[in-house]
Amino acid sequence: MRGLAELLDAANRSLFVYYLLSNLAYLAALIIAFKTTAAHQHRLQSTRPDWIGDSPLAPPITILAPAHNEEKSIRIAVRSLLELEYPEIELIVINDGSRDRTMEELRDEFQLRPVRPVYVQVAPSARVRGFYRSTVDPRLVVVDKDAGGSKADAVNAGLNAATSPYVCIVDSDSLLERDALRRIMVPVMADPARVVGVGGIIRVLNGSELQGGQIRRVRLPRKGIEIVQVVEYLRAFLIGREAWAQGNMLMIISGAFGLFRTDLVRAVGGYRSKSIGEDFDLVARLHRHLLEKKADYKIQFVPDPVCWTEVPGDLRSLARQRGRWHKGLLDVLLPNKDMLFRRRYGRVGFLALPYLWIFELFAPVIELGGLLTIAVAAFLGMLSEHFLVQFLLYGYVFATMISIGSVLQEELTYKRYNDWQDVAKLLSVCFLEHFPYRQLHMYWRLKGLWEYMRGDLSWKPLKRQGMQEGPAG
Amino acid sequence: MDSAMASVFEALAKLGPATFVVKAIVAAVAGDVLLIGFILLRRAYRKRYFARRDARVFEFREKWGAIISGEIPYRAWRKNAFKRRIVEEIALNELDTANSKESARLLRFLRSSGLIEKRIFEARRHRGWRRRNALVALGRTRAPEGIHALADALRDDDNENRLAALRGLGRMASPEAAMEILAWLAEHGIQVPALPLQSALINCCRERPQVLIPYLQHGTGEVREVLARVMSEVASPGLGENLMNLAEDDLPELRAAAARAMPTTNTYQAMETLTQLAKDQVWYVRLRAVVALGKIKNPEATPLLIEALGDASRLVRARAGEAVVAQPGDLLAIFERVVELGDRYGLHAYLAALENAAMRPKLEAELKNCIRLSAEEKIRLEQALESGKLPATQAMTAAMAGADR
Repeated sequence: MRGLAELLDAANRSLFVYYLLSNLAYLAALIIAFKTTAAHQHRLQSTRPDWIGDSPLAPPITILAPAHNEEKSIRIAVRSLLELEYPEIELIVINDGSRDRTMEELRDEFQLRPVRPVYVQVAPSARVRGFYRSTVDPRLVVVDKDAGGSKADAVNAGLNAATSPYVCIVDSDSLLERDALRRIMVPVMADPARVVGVGGIIRVLNGSELQGGQIRRVRLPRKGIEIVQVVEYLRAFLIGREAWAQGNMLMIISGAFGLFRTDLVRAVGGYRSKSIGEDFDLVARLHRHLLEKKADYKIQFVPDPVCWTEVPGDLRSLARQRGRWHKGLLDVLLPNKDMLFRRRYGRVGFLALPYLWIFELFAPVIELGGLLTIAVAAFLGMLSEHFLVQFLLYGYVFATMISIGSVLQEELTYKRYNDWQDVAKLLSVCFLEHFPYRQLHMYWRLKGLWEYMRGDLSWKPLKRQGMQEGPAG
Repeated sequence: MDSAMASVFEALAKLGPATFVVKAIVAAVAGDVLLIGFILLRRAYRKRYFARRDARVFEFREKWGAIISGEIPYRAWRKNAFKRRIVEEIALNELDTANSKESARLLRFLRSSGLIEKRIFEARRHRGWRRRNALVALGRTRAPEGIHALADALRDDDNENRLAALRGLGRMASPEAAMEILAWLAEHGIQVPALPLQSALINCCRERPQVLIPYLQHGTGEVREVLARVMSEVASPGLGENLMNLAEDDLPELRAAAARAMPTTNTYQAMETLTQLAKDQVWYVRLRAVVALGKIKNPEATPLLIEALGDASRLVRARAGEAVVAQPGDLLAIFERVVELGDRYGLHAYLAALENAAMRPKLEAELKNCIRLSAEEKIRLEQALESGKLPATQAMTAAMAGADR
């Protein structure tokens, strides 16, 4: 019995240390993010993105937009992408074996005619049925292909047909702000030799009002479950990515909006077709490729080029999405485990990847373990209630502080939510998200891990409303 | 070191986890309260500030004519920093979009009200972000008297300030500003990213590209490459001979720049030089030469461009395809020569460009109505056009030549 008591005590202490380290890591990230954002805001005073638009030397960009059953939103999405402010773009929309009217919608709206572009199969992809170019806007190319079963497969087809030195990978159900390309190119223009990839910020579209394929008014979503995701996105992007990118350890550039050097993406063979977290996988392989070559490179994050995306509005879809993200995490970490603690992989191997293993991948397992030890200790009457309450309270207020910090980041810098009501709601969510959302999140992630272990790697569709004029989501 | 570590552990041990957690809770609660308080106070302050600012902007807008004519004495708003910033902002915003007459009027106002002098003083006196603000404002005025203050700031230790100064000089768009940038470049080398530097120089050298020549001749390494790229953008017909020299330079970047600039010069000379450059060892020099040949639109360039369809580089082939399609002359005759070239990659590049330019129906019609060609020859060409593959005999020859790229 004494041995068990000691074991439980050790487990509880370990749990405490784990939470402490996790929170301290977040606190450090928050401080770094505040500092970096302030510097970025000052920089924008002298390096305005509009000089990129004016420059005849701005390198062309190919936008790759995969579309699978997007009949509701494809017209608005493509029109919006063609209206992006940048001197030279090529837009490749990849119709990934849609079973609905996506292809017909594209054909009707943009008057497509068949063409034969130079297509070199560098990255693996399913069979291409045909290539089309718009007669309305010749910058638009449509690649019609068999369904490859993944976004990665579709992006690879576009990558094979891309003709620009940079590719910008977007989701066709997302919406980029007009100056997003110019802004995302700022780090590239500042250091084209070293910057190989840049990620922009993803924001929640639900609730905002759309007009002409652009956001007319930014509003918070109405549903609580969507507002929680707003806070999550702010925390992930304005704190997490901002801080990791500072140390050149950014491991994820969101698949909804990321810019890469074309030659390097081709050099690593494009996206891994079977990967679940294809965006994370690509960045991990880029790091590996460049570190093995001992290249001097940077993968950056810029917080002001904005991509708006629709997030799941129901628990079922959210559960699927989060489960898939966690599967994706494991799917990338496992094949890259040889990078851990190896000198040649530098900080990525010593800091970024271990962090992801311990504080992201294992987080739900440790959390569950913690709950179980507490339950066992309580059952055996070995639990110090006083300590438990203090511990839970500490976890609660500290995590709340980090969330409020992300709202403050938003307030200090980009201030997209102007209404007092919206800010009040955001702050309230910072306090309320810990129960029961956090526990549900833990369950979804555990389920994702379990499915991965069982070999269930299938992609289950999420329920989406699609982009429509007027209030979205 | 060891004793310090030991004392830290001792202190932690004394605290015990529970005490430590209590302290952590108190600290975190304080953090929460402070953060929320800060957000709310900041919001309230900003709301008040913007309301005040908006009212003042409206008031100044109403009296704008009287303000810039001096009817309302400058001292009425100059002494108050808040009012001065608003007036300056309105004037600079108007200056950004004004025509030449209006620009002159606004510049007169900025001078006579002393706003430019104040910004010059700040750009010289201040450091850090204050200096940066002054530099950005000074650049926006495009007042030549600001050039020296901006040029001084090119030597600032802060990279952002150097960029602000550079961008300001770029907005001046005058040879004097170009001279300052070039002198700094010669003195310190490249201390800012190449792109803003090139953009600024392109703006400033457009009027008198000759200012680049001595620096191009005496510069070294990356500086020469940057200047060559600028030259390729701003070259004028008078620079023909200098461009010829550049075309023979050892640095491929310079040869590429010369190729890019060549269409601005005398066509005969350009053709001769571009013919050489289209056979350069380095792919991007050939690429530039092919693009330039396409721009000249001289029928004499057609054989060269068709030859470039068989280039080893995919990008050169693609550009050559676009150029061949845009060439003046008999479309069908050109297609025959493309097929005769016997390069399947070249044929593909040509057909891709033809379809991109929506000219395939035209070629099909010409092929159908042609009376010059035999029926057999027509079928051969139609098949090549339809399938994108070389006719059998040529495909075999190409395969034998091992032309697999």
